[in-house]
Amino acid sequence: MNPHSFSYFVRITFIYYCLSTYRFFAYRTLLTFFLLTASQAFAVNHYEVVINKSVGESNISANSLRSVFSMHLKTWPDGTKIRVFVLADDDPLHQIFSKEKLNVFPYQLRSTWDRLVFSGTGQAPIKVNSIEEMFEKIISTPGAIGYLWRANINENVNVLTIK
Amino acid sequence: MKMLTCSQLSNFLAGFSDKIVKQFMLLLLFGSVSFCAHAENQGMQKTITNSQGTSLKWLPASALPSFITEVKRPTWINNAADWYQKKSVQGDLQIHGFIGQSYIVTSHNDVFGNSDKGGSFGLTEAGLNASFRPLPKLLVSAQVLSRRAGEGNSGMPRLDFAFLDYRLYSHEANQFGIRAGRLKNPFGFYNDTRDVPFTRPSILLPQSIYFDRTRNLALSGDSVQMYGDFSHPKWGTFSTQLGFLFPIVNDRDTRTSILEGLGGNLTREVSYIGRGIYETNDKRIRLAVSGIWLNANYVPTATEQLSSGALQFSPIYFSAQYNAERWSLTSEYAIRHFAFSGFNNQKLDGTNFYGESYYVQGEYRFTPKWEGFVRYDALFTDRSDKSGKQWASENNKTGQEHSRYAKDITVGLRWNVTPEFMLRAEYHHVIGTGWLSGLDNPDRTQTNKVWDLFAIQGSYRF
Repeated sequence: MNPHSFSYFVRITFIYYCLSTYRFFAYRTLLTFFLLTASQAFAVNHYEVVINKSVGESNISANSLRSVFSMHLKTWPDGTKIRVFVLADDDPLHQIFSKEKLNVFPYQLRSTWDRLVFSGTGQAPIKVNSIEEMFEKIISTPGAIGYLWRANINENVNVLTIK
Repeated sequence: MKMLTCSQLSNFLAGFSDKIVKQFMLLLLFGSVSFCAHAENQGMQKTITNSQGTSLKWLPASALPSFITEVKRPTWINNAADWYQKKSVQGDLQIHGFIGQSYIVTSHNDVFGNSDKGGSFGLTEAGLNASFRPLPKLLVSAQVLSRRAGEGNSGMPRLDFAFLDYRLYSHEANQFGIRAGRLKNPFGFYNDTRDVPFTRPSILLPQSIYFDRTRNLALSGDSVQMYGDFSHPKWGTFSTQLGFLFPIVNDRDTRTSILEGLGGNLTREVSYIGRGIYETNDKRIRLAVSGIWLNANYVPTATEQLSSGALQFSPIYFSAQYNAERWSLTSEYAIRHFAFSGFNNQKLDGTNFYGESYYVQGEYRFTPKWEGFVRYDALFTDRSDKSGKQWASENNKTGQEHSRYAKDITVGLRWNVTPEFMLRAEYHHVIGTGWLSGLDNPDRTQTNKVWDLFAIQGSYRF
């Protein structure tokens, strides 16, 4: 092998190496973008508002939903009690739910509930400590409403669509 | 052997708890407050550890043989208890409470105890409330409050509110109902919950609007109120409360601050109150107007050369708030009309003036755990005599002009240690003594015009 061909060889190998590295980066960037958009699309719809099977409703207006979680609307249209279950204020699902579905910040919900409880004009929602407990309560409490990750939803609860 | 002991112990405990539960339930059924729903629900799930370190499960009554749980009682009581047990679901009965302790130091003048001389632990607040929903549309709630604050409040528990709330109409997000009993007076953003440290922005609420010295008068009254929430999917929610009430006037601090130098008593008359709040759907903008038309009569002592006169106090409040994720901006303005009549005394009957108060407050949430605020708060007892000079010369009180106004600049920091426990501190620089309590500072000539206040507070709630 003459020195020229060697240098060509080195150059070509180097170019190939560069290309492959570039391709790797390009793919990785593409993949990252894809994953990001995918996860964002996923984030919008990977939880649902759920209700106890006894509730004869299949949808609710955004306005009424806000009123339910503000603890102002207290009965289902058939006159039975609404029982509201929530996770802790700093729970990720609670935060996403309040911002996306109710369009309020968790601290605003908290102050709304505190105003009701300590003036006696209303009650606070019932706090559960985990997704599992939320699921249990929704199944076992007549008139219950709450929210769950899609992965935790099965045929034992009903999903409420927001109009 | 060990197993046997455990199961016997658990049976005993379960039986015992059930007995308590049933007794409490009966209490509730006969019109008292009870903790049964909580006891029952928690009792079922609670796991306790005995001395040998073995864990025991509290059993529901239904899992036990009947001879352990049955106690001889008339059938109808048992039926009532069974009915309640079947109907009661967690959350229908709620018990909440809070306690707060503050430490206050002032450079001059006393606030809630001897704060001037080395500080005082003079402000303690505690409350316990229960609410119960026996029917879907009926809510019963009551709160007992204890407040130890200087000379004005001894810490003696008092009934803060106790009322029935019946929802007359409910369609989607529109509600309409009626409340009757002892109710919190709805005015401004904070009056309904002013004694709960967690719900207010600072240790001392802006004193220009939320006077602590006439607090019991302003706080709650025996009342009937109508309320309504009207919600529009786009425009937001309008909520209103309207009612009439008999104010609470038989309180030392109120008497001292309203009837300076008079020895008689106040009797209450029918008064009116109302508030309307508009909120956008995202609760970012909140606007409120509230008004009170408060009436009381003065009954003079036998030695006083006075007829029984009438007092009329009619403040109007305008409130506005903007809430962003990290910060909130709040401002409230009040114009307060104060008039005496029928005393048959020229000086008293001439009492007819308008007071003015306002504050502007900014809150910032650094993290969900750390919050800070800055506020400017101003009070003028008589808006036509803001400096107090005219009052001082007319009443021969030169040197005490500063008792007719107060301007307070406050900064504070709050640390939400856990959702249930909070610590905070604040510093006030005050010019004027307009809202100082006369009971804590009996000699007005000894008060200082310019003073500072530093306070820290710890509070727990459940």
